[in-house]
Amino acid sequence: MASTAAVPFWRSAGMTYITYSNICANLVRNCLKEPFKSEAISREKVHFSVSRWVDGKPQKPTIRSDTPEV
Amino acid sequence: MAMAALRREGRRFVPLAYSPTPINAIRSTLAPTEEQVGLGVRSISTQVVRNRMKSVKNIQKITKAMKMVAASKLRAIQVRAENSRGLWQPFTALLGDTPSVNVKKNVIVTISSDKGLCGGINSTSVKISRALHKINSGPETESKYVILGEKGKAQLTRDSKNDIELIMTELQKNFLNYTQVSVLADDILKNVEFDALRIVFNKFQSVVSFLPTTATVLSPEVVERESEAGGKIGDLDSYEIEGGETKSEVLQNLAEFQFSCVMFNAVLENACSEQGARMSAMDSSSRNAGEMLDRLTLTYNRTRQASITTELTEIISGASALEG
Repeated sequence: MASTAAVPFWRSAGMTYITYSNICANLVRNCLKEPFKSEAISREKVHFSVSRWVDGKPQKPTIRSDTPEV
Repeated sequence: MAMAALRREGRRFVPLAYSPTPINAIRSTLAPTEEQVGLGVRSISTQVVRNRMKSVKNIQKITKAMKMVAASKLRAIQVRAENSRGLWQPFTALLGDTPSVNVKKNVIVTISSDKGLCGGINSTSVKISRALHKINSGPETESKYVILGEKGKAQLTRDSKNDIELIMTELQKNFLNYTQVSVLADDILKNVEFDALRIVFNKFQSVVSFLPTTATVLSPEVVERESEAGGKIGDLDSYEIEGGETKSEVLQNLAEFQFSCVMFNAVLENACSEQGARMSAMDSSSRNAGEMLDRLTLTYNRTRQASITTELTEIISGASALEG
C-alpha cells in the first residue's frame, strides 16, 4: 500500500470510496421531505444475484436485494 | 369428339379417385376436408395450410407487440443513458483512456442482457471479450472475466470456464439506478484483483446502430506508475490537491469512482442497445411473418382452386361415364 499515514476512517474500516459515497447519498436522501423522499428511496433499490466461480465451477449464487424475496 | 376426349379424361382421373391410399390411414386424424392423395402427392391439405396461416398471424401480432414495448422502454432509458455520459467524460479528460496499457492482471467485464430475442448484440460483446482475452494473455499477463447478464454467461461458460471470476445476473428487476451499479462495482473491486479493468459493452448510437466499445479503467497503482512515466496522466502533478490527502489517496478514490461511473454508463448504454436491437429484430420478424403469410395465402388459394377443379372434373367424368 502506498500511503500509510492519515488514512481516512472509512478506508481503514474496509470500505471503498464507492461505499462511502453511497452511504452519504443515502443520508442526503433521508433528509428529503415526504413526496420527494419516497421517490428518492425508490431510486435506491438494489437487486441482483452474484455467484463466484472457483476453478471453473460456480459456487452457490447469493442474491443481494433490498426487496424481500416473496 | 368432345365426349371421347372427356371419356379419356375420365379414365385418367378415375384411378386417382379410387386408388388405395395408405397415406390416408395416417392422416385420418386430420379434418375431413382433406383430399385424397397418392401416386405422387401434388397438393397439400387446406386444413394444414390454414393452421399454419393462423399460427403465423399470431406470431406476427406477438412480435409487433414486443416491438412496441421495446420502443417505449427505449424512449425511457435513452434519456438517462445520454445524461449519464457526462459522468465519465471528466475522468477521461483527467486520466485519459488507455486501452493499450500493458499490465499483468486484466479483468474483462462483459455486459450482456438477461433476456433474449435482441438480435446480435450479445454475440458481438462476447466476441470482443474473447478477442481482448486473447490479446492480453501472454507469458506474464493473464486475464479473467466478470460477466453481467445471463446471455453472456451462457456463451462464455461454454469455452472459458476456467477464466471466470464472478457472474452477476438479474440486474434489471428494478429500474436501473446508480446505487445498484455502484454496489456491483464495489463487489467487483472487493473480490477481484486487477491492474486494469476493461469493460465491454454496446454503445448506443442510434436506434439501428450500436457500437461495441471497450472502456479501460486502471487501478490506482497502475495510474501512479503511468503518471511517473509521463504522458497525459503525468500532468496530474500540476493539479493542486486540497484537503490534506496525499496524491495516492486521491488517485485511489478517483479510480474507484471512475470505475463506478463508467460501469453506470456502460450498463445504461447496453440496456438502450438491447431495447433498440430487440425493436429491430422484432420488426424484421413481423415483416418476415407478413411475407410468409402472403406466400401461404397463395398456396392456400391454389390448393383450394385445385380441389374445386378436381371435384368438378370428377363430377363431369362421372356424368359422362354414365351417358357414354
